[in-house]
Amino acid sequence: MTAIDEPAAEPEQAPTAPGPAPAPAPRRGLPPALRAAGVVAVLAAAVALLWLTFGFLRDADANRFVLVGVAITVGAAGVFFLYWAMNWAVDALPERFREGVRPYVFVGPAMVILAVFLVYPVINTILISLGDAQGEGFVGLDNYRFVFTDSSMLRAIRNTAGWIIIVPLVGVSVGLAFAALTDRLRRGEAVAKSLIFLPMAISFVGAAVVWRLVYSFRPEGFGTNIGLLNGIKSGLGMSPTPWLQQDPWNNLLLMVIMIWMQTGFAMVVLSAAIKSVPDEIIEAARIDGASEFQVFRRIVVPSIAPTIAVVTTYMIINAMKVFDIVFVIGDPRTNKTEVIAERMIQWFFISNNDGRGGAIAVVLFLAIIPVMVWNVRRFREQEVVR
Amino acid sequence: MTALPVEPANLAGTGTDVGSAPPARPKGGAGDVRKGGWFPRIAVLVVVVLWVIPTLGVLVTSFRPEELADSTGWWTAFGHVFDGGQWTLQNYRDALDAGGFQNAFLNSLAVAVPATIIPITIAAFAAYAFSWMDFRGRYVMFVGVVGLMVVPLQMALIPILRLYTRGASIGGWTLFPDFDLSGSYLGVWLAHTAFGLPLAVYLLRNYIGSLPSEIIESARMDGADHFTIFWRLVVPLSVPALAAFAIFQFLWVWNDLLIAYIFLGGTRDTRVLTIALANLVGSRGENWHLLTSAAFISMALPLAVFFALQRYFVRGLTAGAVKG
Amino acid sequence: MRIRRFMAIPIAVVLLAGACGGDDDDDDAAGDDNAATESGGGEDTGSVNILSAVEPEEAEVVQGVLDSTVNDDADYTAEIEASGDFEEQFEIRAEGGTLDIALLPQPGQVAAAVDQGAVALEDMGFEVDQLTDQFGDYLMSLVEVDGKHYGMPTNVNLKSMVWYPKDDFDAAGYEVPDTWDDLLALSDQIVADGSTPWCVGYESEGATGWPATDWMEDIMLRTAGPDTYDQWVNHEIPFNDPAVLTATERFGEIMFGDGYVLGGADQTPSIAFGDAPGPMFEDPPNCWLHRQASFINAFFPAEAEAGVDYDWFPFPEIDQQATLIAGEFAVAFRDAPEVRDFLEQFAGEEVQCGMGGETGSSRLSPNLDVEADCYANEILADSSEIVSAALEDGTARFDASDQMPPEVGSGSFWTGMMTYMQEGPDSAEGVLGDIEASWPT
Repeated sequence: MTAIDEPAAEPEQAPTAPGPAPAPAPRRGLPPALRAAGVVAVLAAAVALLWLTFGFLRDADANRFVLVGVAITVGAAGVFFLYWAMNWAVDALPERFREGVRPYVFVGPAMVILAVFLVYPVINTILISLGDAQGEGFVGLDNYRFVFTDSSMLRAIRNTAGWIIIVPLVGVSVGLAFAALTDRLRRGEAVAKSLIFLPMAISFVGAAVVWRLVYSFRPEGFGTNIGLLNGIKSGLGMSPTPWLQQDPWNNLLLMVIMIWMQTGFAMVVLSAAIKSVPDEIIEAARIDGASEFQVFRRIVVPSIAPTIAVVTTYMIINAMKVFDIVFVIGDPRTNKTEVIAERMIQWFFISNNDGRGGAIAVVLFLAIIPVMVWNVRRFREQEVVR
Repeated sequence: MTALPVEPANLAGTGTDVGSAPPARPKGGAGDVRKGGWFPRIAVLVVVVLWVIPTLGVLVTSFRPEELADSTGWWTAFGHVFDGGQWTLQNYRDALDAGGFQNAFLNSLAVAVPATIIPITIAAFAAYAFSWMDFRGRYVMFVGVVGLMVVPLQMALIPILRLYTRGASIGGWTLFPDFDLSGSYLGVWLAHTAFGLPLAVYLLRNYIGSLPSEIIESARMDGADHFTIFWRLVVPLSVPALAAFAIFQFLWVWNDLLIAYIFLGGTRDTRVLTIALANLVGSRGENWHLLTSAAFISMALPLAVFFALQRYFVRGLTAGAVKG
Repeated sequence: MRIRRFMAIPIAVVLLAGACGGDDDDDDAAGDDNAATESGGGEDTGSVNILSAVEPEEAEVVQGVLDSTVNDDADYTAEIEASGDFEEQFEIRAEGGTLDIALLPQPGQVAAAVDQGAVALEDMGFEVDQLTDQFGDYLMSLVEVDGKHYGMPTNVNLKSMVWYPKDDFDAAGYEVPDTWDDLLALSDQIVADGSTPWCVGYESEGATGWPATDWMEDIMLRTAGPDTYDQWVNHEIPFNDPAVLTATERFGEIMFGDGYVLGGADQTPSIAFGDAPGPMFEDPPNCWLHRQASFINAFFPAEAEAGVDYDWFPFPEIDQQATLIAGEFAVAFRDAPEVRDFLEQFAGEEVQCGMGGETGSSRLSPNLDVEADCYANEILADSSEIVSAALEDGTARFDASDQMPPEVGSGSFWTGMMTYMQEGPDSAEGVLGDIEASWPT
């Protein structure tokens, strides 16, 4: 047995006793009575501590700094202990079950949380979508019929299709190109990348402010235009345009906002991937006389294909779900910039029609199936290669 | 603990693996042919300028007095850079004086730190399992996780809030006990964890799954069990990916308003920074001077965090971090 | 390492136990914010949260008044929250069970709230007769569902107001119009003098179009009368009824009048409603008339003085005179003594008078016991007198779009009006037909 095996060996002791109390020295020679008493003492102390902690966290008069410190410690430490404990429990199992059960311990907490917090709402939503405006009863597929016949919904579907195509395409392309180009800079790489990533650090409220200031429109007579685009137009002697109300600018300019915010993410992830491509291959290609661009296209890109796929998937899904940008900047209905998620919120919360809102959400869920299928195939291919 | 059979340093030279291998690249010295050239510099400059201008507009506006901000374009300020009347700190003073910011800042911190650590830990374990452990249902589960990324969080809020306030039961069987989590930090952390998990698992699985299989295999042959491999081998190797995701998650949680509002509250004691700022600004937003200064105040910490941690992933993995 | 491994299980057990047990003692914690309880629970949690759609500045003013009146001697703390995404957050919290009181600006929402767990005033111990004395029949009738009343009126504002730049107006020799024809004549006069009479702006992000509905309602009341108005609201006549078409055409007389509107009618959907009165304060004014509710006061330049630089006149009569109002109703979602106590105080004379006296808010009280001298300035005092008189004699009418089902009142009515603006007078019939078609069955 090598050194690594030691921890695995110890828990053989476990099934016979709940474990020695940590307060006294962890020797196996302690009498069982003392051990049991120790465990009870620890349990009692820990329960009391946690009781107090949770109560304390809820007390609004507590000193804020202490509150924050406790919240952070308890929150972070709690998780570590959870995994430790579960793994310990697995080690305590008989040998033949151990490795069969262990994977489930690893994915267990994630699956449980997702099941409660995401899967349950999805099921709830599906049930609601078959109901009336209160989400009760059963109206069959009426709500779905609405989704595919209402003019505003059809426009939303068309617009969303635009978002799904344009935003990932531009975002990933720019991110990839930028990651590759900054890699070639002698200096300033970190600064350049940080500046592109900056928009991700800006809250959505902040981003809305930023871009409203760019697109701001005041008709003549209502004051000078303080928006950048109209400022440029005024400077050139042209009259200002209500950008957000004109086809096709209305949709495109909103997409620009999302591209601005999300490209940093793509760039960062792709950059890490680019830097991991082994040098030997690149050098070999160079020696063979390939130009930089050819190296990039034929060596680097295929090597990082999985990462490109991951980033693209994420951006597609984000584009599918876009809501804030469309909802907060301009009026989606008057400007004809509706998208699926925005319609969902509109029907569910503002028009109080749970049935329709739910149906729109379900359509959104279904729309992701092709993406999922693609990912499964890739996942399997990767496994085969390995 | 004794040393592992495979040091991270041994990874250099595993160049036969075409999939993205982690730390394997010695940075070139002065003779590095790849650096330099005017095209990258120009291109990068152009893109950076385009990217920064909108934010610059906000920054400049936040320092301008109200009348000017509302009536003239922010670029005009550059014509009078040294004119004292053009600049003011009043907007920031107004924003910060509005009060309650210290409390809100601390609340934000108390929400954001655990809400970053918890999902990363959980996701890392799951990602490792999906990558290197064999068990029934792994495809289905993983694809399910990917699919869950599309769930809009607004649809999940009401069911979750109900669970928090009343629990759930079917015909007398308690499915979910009434923990009364609404208004508690634990409730917010769990909600943020749930919404961040799908992307975390997806990203981390991609990274962890592309670690060279040789390392894992040799560790297994040496008798290490999965927990040890994970904790002592995979996690240290995944620091860039973990750091990257930590930043994304931290930023997302820090900038979030809706989840904190619904699960923690909007009263003066419980509100987080985003809510305090939104309250300052209101929804009839034409007070540019306040809007812009509030926006920058809210950006301060995330930017600081980002700049502090960016070396972990912006530059990739540099020589020196890895031997050989 | 060894120690930690052995400790793991007991600690795990303890963590779980703590999570289950720890939260139980929170119910006793004083100062507990937003503690969730099921509606029907009667325990005093020490706090009352109020969700509202008001602007943060106004919320601050209200909170100040609350702190010095209600919170001063009650054993609970009442806190008002100003919410940007009101509808969304309201629904989530109402359905989720963490809401005490909501200030709903639409009677239609009050009716819908019944399904979301609203508590009837009668069930909380209020006497409806007393309330009717305090607020008048009309307001109480708006919140009646199946014989019970669900909302306590806590705010009103006057909508039938036209603002004008008084000093320049008088100097130019213009006169305040009493009738619609006078108004049109005044507009023509201003055009003849080389200026533009009307400033109009309807942009309001997701709510773009709502000021146009106010115009329609003011006109509808004055052409078709209150009874037909009520029929319109309740869908007893279709939306494209001739009476409505007439009102729409009257609306068009101003909107599409030659040179009447600064920027033209088709630009109005892009002009932010808060920006719209701006040109009135230029020197010389770029426009002279702005129709808007009382709250617009807060959007005027700070230096402008009420009664000197600007003033207002009531929207003129057409076939008859009328008063269009809007307001807010406090709806309770948790039946508890402190919630009841708060409602009573909040709608009561003391707090209402206190709020009126604050300059930071333009709240008018629906409470008929509140005297005009409570108000911080002349404009509020005069408006309140008009509103109170109209409430007492039953001629006041609440904003129609706030009473209609949200698909229409917060949806197709708004967008329909914007289409009308953009496509011109000929589109009136089509627009009304579309709105009618969108009315939920």
